Amino acid sequence: MLNGLLNTIRKIYFSHNIVLWMIVLVLPCGVSVFMLDLFSSQIVQHVPIGILSQDDSELADKIETGFQSSPVLDVALNCSDFSECEHAIIRGDIQSFVVIPNEFERRTLRLETPVIPVYSSGQNYLTNMFATKEIRAVVTDVGSELFTAQIEDPVKTEIHSVGNIESNYQGFLSLGLVAAMFHLAAMLVAVYVGSFPLRDHRVKELLKYAKGSRLTLWVASIVPLDIILWLGHMACYAYCHRALTPMGFEEFVMVSAAQLFMILACSGAGFVFVGVVGVMRIATGVAGVVGGPAFAFAGQTYPLMAMPLAVRCFAFLLPLTHALKIQSMMLLGDVGLAPSWDVLKLLIGMALFWNVFGAFLMSMRWKQHVRIENAMEKSTSFRAIVEED
Amino acid sequence: MLSRLLRVTLTEWKLFVTDPAAVLLLVVAGLLYAFYYPTPYINQTVSKVPVAVVDFDHSGKSRELIQMASAAQQIEVKAVYGEMTEAENAMAREEIFGFMVIPENMEKNIRRGEQVSLNIFTHGAYVMLHGAIGTAFSTCALTLGATQKVRQIALEKKVPSTKAMAMRDPFPISIQTMFNNTGSYSNYVVPCVLVLILQQSLIIGICILGGARGHRRFRKKFRDSEVENESMPYRYFGRSLAYFLHYCCFILFYHCVIYNLFNFPRRGELLPMAVFAVVFLFAVINFGMVVSQVFLRRESSMQLFLYLSIPILFLANFSWPSYLMPTAMQSLSYILPSTFAVPAWLTIEQMGGDIYDVAPKLYALAIQAVIYLILGLLLTRFRDKTHFKTGDM
Repeated sequence: MLNGLLNTIRKIYFSHNIVLWMIVLVLPCGVSVFMLDLFSSQIVQHVPIGILSQDDSELADKIETGFQSSPVLDVALNCSDFSECEHAIIRGDIQSFVVIPNEFERRTLRLETPVIPVYSSGQNYLTNMFATKEIRAVVTDVGSELFTAQIEDPVKTEIHSVGNIESNYQGFLSLGLVAAMFHLAAMLVAVYVGSFPLRDHRVKELLKYAKGSRLTLWVASIVPLDIILWLGHMACYAYCHRALTPMGFEEFVMVSAAQLFMILACSGAGFVFVGVVGVMRIATGVAGVVGGPAFAFAGQTYPLMAMPLAVRCFAFLLPLTHALKIQSMMLLGDVGLAPSWDVLKLLIGMALFWNVFGAFLMSMRWKQHVRIENAMEKSTSFRAIVEED
Repeated sequence: MLSRLLRVTLTEWKLFVTDPAAVLLLVVAGLLYAFYYPTPYINQTVSKVPVAVVDFDHSGKSRELIQMASAAQQIEVKAVYGEMTEAENAMAREEIFGFMVIPENMEKNIRRGEQVSLNIFTHGAYVMLHGAIGTAFSTCALTLGATQKVRQIALEKKVPSTKAMAMRDPFPISIQTMFNNTGSYSNYVVPCVLVLILQQSLIIGICILGGARGHRRFRKKFRDSEVENESMPYRYFGRSLAYFLHYCCFILFYHCVIYNLFNFPRRGELLPMAVFAVVFLFAVINFGMVVSQVFLRRESSMQLFLYLSIPILFLANFSWPSYLMPTAMQSLSYILPSTFAVPAWLTIEQMGGDIYDVAPKLYALAIQAVIYLILGLLLTRFRDKTHFKTGDM
């Protein structure tokens, strides 16, 4: 039996199948590392802004110097009129612009509290958020030094992002994107492994290697892809996690288990898609529809609680949602360990369900395709006899 | 001449609605994704994020601060704890996503004129909530501090409270959002994704139908038909025209139906929209015609481009500024139509930009279209002459 299993694995995975190795190893790992390197500058810096200064004064210059010395902002444009700045925003050359009003210094010194209008595009959520926050900080700093430099603010605040001390974007997004990539990969690879014997009419051949056992063929199909994807996912996760607070051993075990069961559930689901539709193209399309946008539904960028109920139900069915939940719980350290068990149990349940269902459906498909291949062989040999005659 | 071209166009268009894989990509995907993607963000903004306060002070000021936090729009104070561990456990169970710690003797220290530090903790895994919680708690804490500071200034400088207020904040700022006034997350994400849906479904669709090559194996009984094997320029331009007309309908559908349905701002004027549609679709179609010549099997393109959708989206400068990307990635992004098309679409449709505002991006798309056209013609010619034994293309 073991011999049959090894032979079937060799036939499926080691018979010059470049596409399979591309989708099982090269693309998921390559794209994950690519995504991580894309965010390698970690935080948003040098956001281009414009200044429309209508006041030629020392105070206006002081504010401008404040913007220029900020690492977050980059004064890219000194506009001569409002429309120039407005069009620069529309063109995407700048993200925000500050108007320093007429007689600014004079009115400030008279305590008339002139308002500084800041116009922000609003279209680029992230960069706009960073830019307006920094503009506010710079202006407030200059303002507080003007009359009350010697009086400290009675209350100051410090914001800590637990598990992601530097609040870097790489940490925020990369872990989620890597998990999403492997979530999609597990579905796509399972669809490929499950459907290429059907497409190439090789079910009989593979069953011969599996010594006629559909269980052996099932195990030979699913186990290697699960192991390869799991190891790939763990390696990419460890690579991403460098930017965040180090994990303890127990946390690492919990996250690895979550990743394993997510991959098991997704590969099981991939086999179910093949079992239901029976054609690689359609099953790949279905896997793409479910797995492609999964990251948008999983609640890491936009929280689940703000989504409509129907979407939350769909998100609950995605293994990615639960795997991300465990990953984020583990970012908090030991305190996240106990609640993450319940989520892990759910993932185990999903993995079991999809695999049992997938095995059943694939078994039916293989049975059906053996009959088809037999019929094809008969018709081919019949045609050969007719041609000979 | 025109009738030969239109015959190829019509035959190819018939395939869009008869070949199951093509229907899925060229009809269903464009329609389904347009409804599927915006749905999670239908509420547009995040409000009432569950948070907690750890109160070690139990004073009048701490209660005032909790009241202020409860009144904030972005957050909802779910609990007031006496211990840090209670808040940490609640955050681990995801009952709350952040908490503020009010230190012991806060009121006493403020009255003594000593500076008090308030710590705000947010869940490190949620980017949007981090900003919302941090801003809401900070605003409350600074408001509390501001009242005290005004009192302090009035006493020390011996000025009336109105002057003291002006001295504390001599030039307040007023932030005006020009194009996404509500700060809606869907306005930010979905328009970019819609452009990407058009690009990806079109490229995969072209690949799955074999681009402009003749004698397509999957066509079975029509493989050797006259229209299937028209001379190469007719095939290339005839099929391109079919894709172009089909996707013009999608752009119109997005502009007239999806934008209305999901309340996205529709500021696009006819001229820039029409020019964008022509240049963008030709760049994508020619890109698809080039890429389609690489694959031996119809489904291989799906497997490849499904993986690449997320990186392509991030390379389009919509979320992460392109100047912060490594140079190699910036260079790589120039080969993709979406890199120029996403910002151009946002400028036209979301911000009401005119043709001059988007001209540099449209020029870049036009250059791509010409380069890919030449490559596409050459590769199709090469592929027509080469006979592969494997694959169904």
